[in-house]
Amino acid sequence: MTALEAFLASGIRFSTPILLAALGCLPTRWTRDLNVGLEGAMLFGAFFGVVTGYAAGSAGVAVLATAALGAALGVAFGALVTWLRASAFVVGTALNVLAGGLTVYLLRSWFGVKGAFSSPRIPALAAVELPGLSHLPLLGPVLSGQSPLTYAAWLLVGVLAWASRHTVLVRHLKAAGEHPEALRVAGGNVTRVRILAQAWCFTLCALAGLQLSLGQLTLFTEGMTSGLGFVALAVVIFCRGSAALLVAMSAAFGLASALSVRLDTAVLPPQFAQMLPYLVAFGGLVVLSRRSRVAESRILTPTLED
Amino acid sequence: MTRPSVVALVGRRLGRSGFAAVVAVLLALLLIRLQGFAPLPTVLAGLRYALGDPSRIAATFAWGLPLLVAALGVAQGFRGGMFNIGAEGQVYSGALAAAVVGAYLGPLLSGLHLLLCLLAASVAGGAIAGGLGWLRAHWGVDEVLSSLLSNYLLILLCTYLANGPLRDPTRQSGSTRNVADTAMFPVILPHTELTAALFLVLALAGFCWWLAERSVAGYRWRMTGASPGFAAAVGIDVAGARISAMAVSGALCGVGGALLVMTSQGRFWTGIGTGIGWDAVLLALVGRARPVGVLAWAAGYCVLRASARGVEQATGIPAELSSVLIAVIIIAAAARNGLLAVLADRLRRWGGPDRARRRSAPAGVRR
Repeated sequence: MTALEAFLASGIRFSTPILLAALGCLPTRWTRDLNVGLEGAMLFGAFFGVVTGYAAGSAGVAVLATAALGAALGVAFGALVTWLRASAFVVGTALNVLAGGLTVYLLRSWFGVKGAFSSPRIPALAAVELPGLSHLPLLGPVLSGQSPLTYAAWLLVGVLAWASRHTVLVRHLKAAGEHPEALRVAGGNVTRVRILAQAWCFTLCALAGLQLSLGQLTLFTEGMTSGLGFVALAVVIFCRGSAALLVAMSAAFGLASALSVRLDTAVLPPQFAQMLPYLVAFGGLVVLSRRSRVAESRILTPTLED
Repeated sequence: MTRPSVVALVGRRLGRSGFAAVVAVLLALLLIRLQGFAPLPTVLAGLRYALGDPSRIAATFAWGLPLLVAALGVAQGFRGGMFNIGAEGQVYSGALAAAVVGAYLGPLLSGLHLLLCLLAASVAGGAIAGGLGWLRAHWGVDEVLSSLLSNYLLILLCTYLANGPLRDPTRQSGSTRNVADTAMFPVILPHTELTAALFLVLALAGFCWWLAERSVAGYRWRMTGASPGFAAAVGIDVAGARISAMAVSGALCGVGGALLVMTSQGRFWTGIGTGIGWDAVLLALVGRARPVGVLAWAAGYCVLRASARGVEQATGIPAELSSVLIAVIIIAAAARNGLLAVLADRLRRWGGPDRARRRSAPAGVRR
């Protein structure tokens, strides 16, 4: 495997969690409940992926259990922001802190360890060798042998791109955000649609976290998402609803992360290399805001007067 | 008139903070029970650890001084409609700035050295947040996302500096040189960590209250935060208000970081302020960005945190319990009004003579 192939392959690997989380978050943007809790949801997913994998000894069970748990958490979050009318911004911020605290709390209560938890019993997501592709030059080593969640993520890109043009559900999601009254008059259930969007979001974020803890590594460390959820949030805000832009942005961040890992620490201190994805996100945010001048991309923040 | 339900009456008495506190206490008791310990005695042991005698009380609240300043800073920004979620990065930057001035400048006359350190920290934090505010005011860069991302950039930058150019060669990596003694606040209660910084923090809290509630600048921030269109129409410089609200917010966060160095740590190291910025954001949210509310919740959080420490010592239940509880408090406070409305509605539907007049469920109603 040449250096270029290795670089591209790890770029795809690094872009998977961002892509999954961003795909999850996109529908919540349509319903205008965009929240800053992706990071926390990913951390929960990473943790419970390891826990369920450790308990069951099977990566497949871990994926299913984590997805189910994510969906349940999403329904709870959705109920909070719709039914109980809590601000998505406030609950999302609290969720990030809750995930940071609760994962450490449970890590210490259940396994008695601090910092990181690894064990030979934790199963890894097996790499999938694509039969037709493996022998091709360049494409083979880059596209084959990725985690199943990577292929699932790229499949979902297609599904979401198709669904956003051809399905009633996506139209309902968008209507719930843009004009809830219209959806209600048309016989749709606004609350249910908004909760559904959150359940979808949390399921994919949980899987994004699981990709980190079981796909790229086979261990859990405290705060292992380290801002990736926020980068995914940036992707969703940048993409302005376009699936193509969303994919391009996720790939850019994946490549930036891959570059930061491969850069020689003698050339560039590791901290500067680690800054790359965040720098790309920050620079992108500034350029985008400067060019569009539309306040549409703003995260909904609560009014504190009441 | 519809008959006010029991739930609504109790809810009104309790208030948002009371409801959140009750939820947190119940959850704490449940979690302790789940770990297999007797809930009440454990909580009491924790409280004794936090508030048992004067030196314990001093330690409990001394820990919270930097956090309180940072939370007041975040709250100032919130009042101006600027959601400065970058407190963590600004705390780190302020701590590093203070540590550098404290270690490389001096020893000086103590008061002067303290002042210089605090000044450096507030300039560092203020410049960062002010810059983000400028980007928001003039280029429309969403400050929530930009300040979120700035956290990671700033913490990595500080980590680099503490591991590279500013590293103390005699120590393990990731730590700067010790600051001069003249850059440390003097201890006012022997054998505790309670320092003269207490007076500074109380003065700052009073100043924040005056600034937010009584000053002209505070009025402009509040108008800008509540309704930028109205503020612009009555001649308030909205861009200026946004930048200054952010700058003050960041300066206070920077001072919070400086206090970490100047009251207890005596140097900057890479884990010095982990989580403080996020705690500050949560406190500002739950205190509704009011200085008095933030002060009260910060005091409560100090007790909660110290008690969790005490519980860990007594039983081995992880002290992260306090982070779990503060997050649940925020969620409970945010959901309280909606929950009461839903409960009241349910009760009205199930019983009572005004069944015919039942309202449609509040579900799906958007603010």
